[in-house]
Amino acid sequence: MNLAEGVQLVSFIILAVAMIGAALGVVLSPSVVYAAFLLGAVFISISGLYLLLNASFVAAAQILIYVGAVNVLILFAIMLVNKREDFQPVKFAWVRKAVTGGVCAGLFLLLGTTIITTPWAFSTETPIGDDAIYLIGEHFFSDFLLPFELASVLLLMALIGAIVLARRDFLPDAALTSDIENLKLPERPRELVSAAKTEQ
Amino acid sequence: MDVANLASQLNAGLILPEGIVIITLLLVLVVDLIQGRKANRVTPYIGIGGLLASLGAIAFQWDNPVSNAFLGSFSSDPLSLVFRAIIVLSAMVTIMISIRYVEQSGTSLGEFITILLTASVGGMVLSGANELVTIFVALETLSISSYLLTGYMKRDPRSNEAALKYLLIGASSSALFLYGVSLLYGLSGGQTELVAIATNLAASDQSLGLVIALVFVIAGVAFKISAVPFHQWTPDVYEGSPTPVVAFLSVGSKAAGFALATRMLITVFPLLTDEWHFVFTALAILSMVLGNIVALAQTSMKRLLAYSSIGQAGFVMIGLIAATEVGYASMLFYLFIYLFMNLGGFACIILFSLRTGTDQISEYAGLYQKDPLITLGLSLCLLSLGGIPPLAGFFGKLYLFWAGWQAGLYTLVLVGLFTSVISIYYYIRVVKMMVVKEPQEMSEVVKNYPKVTWDLPGLKSLQVALVLTVVATTLIGILSNPVFTLATDSVNNTPFLKLDLARTGTQPVAVLPEAIAPANPL
Repeated sequence: MNLAEGVQLVSFIILAVAMIGAALGVVLSPSVVYAAFLLGAVFISISGLYLLLNASFVAAAQILIYVGAVNVLILFAIMLVNKREDFQPVKFAWVRKAVTGGVCAGLFLLLGTTIITTPWAFSTETPIGDDAIYLIGEHFFSDFLLPFELASVLLLMALIGAIVLARRDFLPDAALTSDIENLKLPERPRELVSAAKTEQ
Repeated sequence: MDVANLASQLNAGLILPEGIVIITLLLVLVVDLIQGRKANRVTPYIGIGGLLASLGAIAFQWDNPVSNAFLGSFSSDPLSLVFRAIIVLSAMVTIMISIRYVEQSGTSLGEFITILLTASVGGMVLSGANELVTIFVALETLSISSYLLTGYMKRDPRSNEAALKYLLIGASSSALFLYGVSLLYGLSGGQTELVAIATNLAASDQSLGLVIALVFVIAGVAFKISAVPFHQWTPDVYEGSPTPVVAFLSVGSKAAGFALATRMLITVFPLLTDEWHFVFTALAILSMVLGNIVALAQTSMKRLLAYSSIGQAGFVMIGLIAATEVGYASMLFYLFIYLFMNLGGFACIILFSLRTGTDQISEYAGLYQKDPLITLGLSLCLLSLGGIPPLAGFFGKLYLFWAGWQAGLYTLVLVGLFTSVISIYYYIRVVKMMVVKEPQEMSEVVKNYPKVTWDLPGLKSLQVALVLTVVATTLIGILSNPVFTLATDSVNNTPFLKLDLARTGTQPVAVLPEAIAPANPL
């Protein structure tokens, strides 16, 4: 093992430990804000792994998109919904946690076995390194042209949808005075028969 | 590769139907932006016109010998053309029945149509997508627009609840699907095209990874077609969404799911045919049994149709599992008929809820004296869904069961027959409620039924859609031959299905999985 390989191994171990620790923190931390910040740490460690794999463009995109956009959005959402509420402790909460833990452990074992037993086909080409960005661009305008263009339609629609959901609707007076409920389903809600019976 | 060379290889003309829909949605958006609320008179008809043009483009491509476009990422073979036509038709009828509904709720119509058109673009690309990245982007376009449409009545808690449930369950199923797809990418040594993946997978040994990939892919697909046990979102989402959206989800979105299932499972997993047939048999039996039995207990019309659509998806799966020429053709035939009968039923429910503000089944009592058109239309559509001769649904089911029986799927066909009988019970219950009741047994709502007028804006198109779908439901049964030929031709002329049929043997008897393929040990 030469120096380069040693550095690689050590940085891999550091990144992996940081990632697993932060991911456990996301799941186990009782405070949502800490969980959100730890999620950012997970994303940054993943981008470190991409750097180790010689994929610098993906690493940069990971930080820009996940830390810069997704994680900031999550933090904003948490800040907007800052209503403090004390929940009643649920009875037998540990059963839920145990079952979740069991399912997750089972899934981990299954996927772990899959990864170890599968004869993966390794690529013999040398990693393209920093030229990847040119290659990605070429793919975007040749064999990935259709999804690339379709993604623009998707983004346009997401933009419109976000505006529709977030804007304050202007209700014309004519509609306000009528007995029609605005921005609601025309069907009346169901009467909850069983609930009404227990109250009596 | 220079630009001119690339442009000639792309065959971009094959996505003309999608292109027309995209231009239409941009046009709707711009007209709506310029004219404001006045645009509500124009935009739906622009949408309908664009979809008609797109349908024309699809028909025009029928005999096109070249089917591969975008360097293999999209294929416009006859099978995808039929699925795209079904999606376009369902979007068109949905727009026709939604105009009055959306206007009455006070939400904006232009955006509704834009999002609906985007959803149909997603579904259309999904029907022809031949490559993993395209499949995923198209799937997400369809799903995300569906989430938005579900939550469109944003002041209504039921709509919010439906959108949130659909989003959360949909996102997790997308994640599962994506994980399965990434396993396929890895197992095939970095291929994204379905055919290339199949070739590379055939060269390597079978492994546990392939099975896991299959399971995850099926989980993603089964969510879209709402097969039991991936159906939990369906009743709540159907109840809380605006009714026209439910109509689109139950027909267009489901057809897109079936298109994806057919193309992806048949092309990528020939090694695991027995396994995925087995899983789909289980899904089909569960869907038929649970969908039809739980529907018996429903009191709301929308929930009833939600469970009935789960059951119907189970019937359609029989054709897919039969894996014969007639099997695939019967699947297309049934989906085509299902389009008309289900959308006709939804048109009637929308009209009734617009006039009375309810969708409880008990409130339909005695409707035939006040509104014969709704009574007739809803009765015909529900009886057709149940499979009563001589309506279209009977021939569709007959064809499906016959194909299944020929392929040796005896259990599946028997379960199908048995659950059809159950389904007739709950469909007829609604018909009986409307027709048989004496005048004094009429529900309060029907007693105070408003005078039947078609003057309000948007009601005319609803009427046209209702009459057209009901006429189609009635007549396709008797005049089924053209549709029948269309379905068979599309199966015969589709390259990947031809390959599959050649591999399994074209004789219908030989499709018994045990008979042709030596059992592949895992």
